[in-house]
Amino acid sequence: MVTTIRLDSLLQEAHPAMTPKNLVTRPTGAAVRTSIEREMTLRRAQVALLDFSELDLVDLSCADEVVAKLLQRMDATDQRYVALTGLTEDQAEAIDHVLSHHQLGVQAITRDSSRPRLLGHFGNDSRAAFDVLIDRGPLDGGALATELGWHSDRLADALQVLCLLGVVIGTGGAFQAVLVA
Amino acid sequence: MTRIVEVPAQLDDRTFEQFATSFAEGAPTDKMLFDARGAKWSSPYGFTGLLIAGQSVAEAGGPKPLFTVPEDEQVKSYWTRIGFLRHAAEFFELHGKVPRARAQDESDVLLEVTPVRASEDVHAVVERVQDRSARIVTGELGLEAKAVMGFAMALSEACQNIVEHAGTTGWVAIQAYNWKRRLGRRVVVIAVADGGVGFRKSLEATQAKRIGERWGDGAALECALVQGISRFRDPGRGQGLAGIKRYLERWEGKISIRSGSARLAIVPAWDEDAPLREHLAPFPGAQVQIVIPAAQGTP
Repeated sequence: MVTTIRLDSLLQEAHPAMTPKNLVTRPTGAAVRTSIEREMTLRRAQVALLDFSELDLVDLSCADEVVAKLLQRMDATDQRYVALTGLTEDQAEAIDHVLSHHQLGVQAITRDSSRPRLLGHFGNDSRAAFDVLIDRGPLDGGALATELGWHSDRLADALQVLCLLGVVIGTGGAFQAVLVA
Repeated sequence: MTRIVEVPAQLDDRTFEQFATSFAEGAPTDKMLFDARGAKWSSPYGFTGLLIAGQSVAEAGGPKPLFTVPEDEQVKSYWTRIGFLRHAAEFFELHGKVPRARAQDESDVLLEVTPVRASEDVHAVVERVQDRSARIVTGELGLEAKAVMGFAMALSEACQNIVEHAGTTGWVAIQAYNWKRRLGRRVVVIAVADGGVGFRKSLEATQAKRIGERWGDGAALECALVQGISRFRDPGRGQGLAGIKRYLERWEGKISIRSGSARLAIVPAWDEDAPLREHLAPFPGAQVQIVIPAAQGTP
């Protein structure tokens, strides 16, 4: 189950006296992250889709406080996932930068394309495997290896990164992206 | 006896050293007179630096310095419209007739001189500048629309450093003007200044031992601006200045930071500044200048 969390609402909650459109400063980022965590706990969905659609600027400090630290604090055994949507290219770039710095990653959809992409610390093999899953939907390891023309070891390495970074879910031998196109 | 502190006729990041030297000639508790009668022009860096000088005297418990305002009526009027004289009155006893501020849209002033004390101020500054920055960055500078958000990001990160590190109020101002030295093009200049602890003291506990004998204001600036080192242990820290540098690299901009007795700059091809200057007259806190030039071929 996917729940959408609108970040503009949480930003307004953090600054009730203003009508902010910009996610800036670390204290604001920390407050918004705390609110996201609260919503994720309350809603109990498997996937939290963070919606940036109504926001303008996301500075590096907030990208770090909101996205990077949120991912760092998530329990890998919890089987809950985070994805991003409604990003501008500038926002995607800022988030990509901070996630790469931390060796983290996330799946994201930008405003100008409905195709999910990866932001953060992913090598070429991981990105190629992810693209196939987006294009073809859920596949088992064998089908995925055939599609890519790879040996199983190479595929296993790529899938391990994708699963560890929480952008691909592996269930009963089949793999799928957290969000499908 | 009153000590005279000379304000250069043209006050920018280069002539600021004359002012800093004059200011450093005595103690902040001296009775001082800041002589700006002959001033013809100041950059945002100059305005914010003057306020830091006055603020540091107040924080040191010194007597309120006298400040003779520019004699030129047009200059005085501009210094009023950009908000400098209004804030200067908090730290200086102004001498000379100060015109009343009129509500006027000053096209070259992207942001009047504005105090930054807390995160809320950073929010307010970013919100206020947003519409104007789109007009200036794409209109006046002829840069692509994608440069606008990066401009706001650089401003946000530079102002946050006041709140996160300085320990005292800082100031920000943004102006557009013609950069005549070598470039011959229009620029937008962001100046962010504080009279806080400075980079050396901020990083001393974690970096001085590692650097050894070479430790000082210059080394501290290198740690922060070149190596992205922060005083915080949080591994996510130190990305603000790195982000500003990345933005400026893309748009051929320049950043310089003066702290204590050193000044470090990332110098683009169009400028002839020295990357590092040391043994300057000591000045409190840190003063940041970000320069974004118009695209080539833009009149």
